[in-house]
Amino acid sequence: MPDRTIAVARRVLRQLAHDRRFLGLSLLAPLLIIYVSKAALDSLNTGFFDVTRFVVPIGAFVVHFITYVLCAIVLVRERTAQTLARMFVNGYRQADIIGGYVLAYTCLATVQSLLVLGALSMLFHLAYPVATLLSIYLIIWLLAVISICLGIFVSNFARTEGQVFPFIPMVTVPGIFLSGLVIPVESLPRWAQWLSHATPLYYANQLVRQIIQPHATLAQNWPRLAALAAYGLVVLFLATGTLRESD
Amino acid sequence: MPPGAVASNAVELAHAGKRYGRIEALKSIDLSIRSGEIFGLLGPNGAGKTTLIRLLTGSTAPTSGSAKILGQAPRSVRSQIGYMPQAPALYEDLSPRDNLRFFGRAHSIKSIESRIDELLDFSNLREREHDPVYAFSGGMKQRVSLACALVHRPRVLLLDEPTAGVDPRLRAEFWKHFRALAGAGATLLISTHQMDEAVLCDRLAVLSDGCVLACDTPRELLHRGRATIRVWRGAEVETTLVDNYRDALPGVLRPYNLDPSVTRIEIEQETMDHVVLSLIEARRNA
Repeated sequence: MPDRTIAVARRVLRQLAHDRRFLGLSLLAPLLIIYVSKAALDSLNTGFFDVTRFVVPIGAFVVHFITYVLCAIVLVRERTAQTLARMFVNGYRQADIIGGYVLAYTCLATVQSLLVLGALSMLFHLAYPVATLLSIYLIIWLLAVISICLGIFVSNFARTEGQVFPFIPMVTVPGIFLSGLVIPVESLPRWAQWLSHATPLYYANQLVRQIIQPHATLAQNWPRLAALAAYGLVVLFLATGTLRESD
Repeated sequence: MPPGAVASNAVELAHAGKRYGRIEALKSIDLSIRSGEIFGLLGPNGAGKTTLIRLLTGSTAPTSGSAKILGQAPRSVRSQIGYMPQAPALYEDLSPRDNLRFFGRAHSIKSIESRIDELLDFSNLREREHDPVYAFSGGMKQRVSLACALVHRPRVLLLDEPTAGVDPRLRAEFWKHFRALAGAGATLLISTHQMDEAVLCDRLAVLSDGCVLACDTPRELLHRGRATIRVWRGAEVETTLVDNYRDALPGVLRPYNLDPSVTRIEIEQETMDHVVLSLIEARRNA
C-alpha cells in the first residue's frame, strides 16, 4: 500500500482517537438504535408477524446509516478548513486521500459491526450457528465499508457542511423502502425494482435473507456477495474520480 | 536580490487570466519573480491575490495564458512549492508535531523527526509541541502553518497573507524568517494588504480588480507618488503639489535656488497607502 495512503489513514485514526466524544457516540449510537428497534419489534411479535427475518437486516441498516452519515461530512470539513487544498499542494493525490479515509474508517466500522452483531445476538437471542454468524458479520462489515465509500462520494459534491444534509435522506430513505427491508422488492413497481439496485442495502438484504436460511453458506451465495463487493468497488472508484482539487 | 542567488525566474505568469463564470478574477497578468526574491502582492480584498496564488499552487488552472514555477507547470513541481493558505489550514485536534509529520510524510523526508525538531525550534513551539493546535492563539497557529509550509525545504514559498491577525512583534519575527529564507536562496511570494509589510519586500505588484497596476521596488513605487512641497519665506508659506516627485522635484525647486528670502523648504512624500490608493483610483476613473 502506498506510504501516502497510510499517512492519511494514520492521521485520520489519530484524529479519531483524540475526539473521544465522537468515537464514543459513533460506537454507542448503533447500540441505542438497536435497543429502540428491539422495543418496537417486541410489540409486533404477536405470533402473526415473524420479526426474526427483520432483525439482521435492521442491524445492517443501522450500521449502513451511521457509517454513511459520519463519512458524508468528513471531506467537506477538509475542504472548508482548506486542509484539502494543502494536502493536494503537498503532493497527496486523490487515491491517497480516499484510500486513507476508507482505511481509517474501516477500522472504526470493524469495531462497530462487531458491537452491532453482539447486540443483535444478545437482545434478540439469535440462535444461528457460528459459521452463519461469521457470514453475517462479514456482510455487515462489507456494507459498512461500502457506506464509508458512499459517504465520501456524496461528500465530494458538497462545498459546505450544510450542503451535505440534503444528501443524507437521498441515500437512506430509498434504502429503507426499496431495499426489501420493509417492503418485498418483488411487490414494488418495475421502475422501483430497478432503482433498488442503486442502494447497497438491496444487495446486503438479499444476501442476509439467504444466509439466515438453514444450511445456507456464503460460498453458495457467492454471486450475491460478489455483487455487493462490486457495488463497493464502483462507489470507491466514483469517490476517487469525483474528488476535485479545485472548484 | 541577495548575493549568491541565481538570476533566473522562479515564477512566471504570462497573460494569465482566470474566470469564474461571469467574474473575471484575473485579467491577463504578466509577472516574473526572480529566484531568491521576496515579492509582495499588494491589493485590497477581492483584488485577485488569492486566485493568483492558487494558479501558482496548481489548485486551479488559468483560463488563459500560463503560470509556471521553476519553468514548469505548478502541479509537476509541487515538491518544490511550500504553500501557506490564508486560513491556518491545520488539523486542530492534532499537535504541531503531528501536523508537521503528516505534511512531511507526503514528501517522503528521510529524517523527518529531526526536521520537525528543527522547525519546532525555528517557530519557537518546542514547549507546546504535543498540545492540540485548537488550544493555540492565532499567532501560534500561523507559526505552525508556516512551519508546515517549510517542512520539505521548498524552493518557492507561496504565502497567502501569512501575517494576517498577527501582532506586530510576531510579524517582525516572521519577516526576519522570510529574509533568512530568501538569503538561503528560497523565492517568496507574499500576499498582503498591509502597507508597512509591503515596503519590506524586494519588489511589489499592486493588484486591483484582477489587474497589475504597478510592479516595482517599494522605493520606486513611493517615488511615483505625489509630494507636497512647502516653501517658507518668513511666515509666508507657498505650497506646491507635484506628481512623480523624484523626476519633478529638481524643476520645482530650481526657481528657489539661491533665493535668500527662502527660510525653509519642507517636502512631504506620500505614504505607500496613498500611492496604492491613487493607483487604484486612477484605474477606476480610467
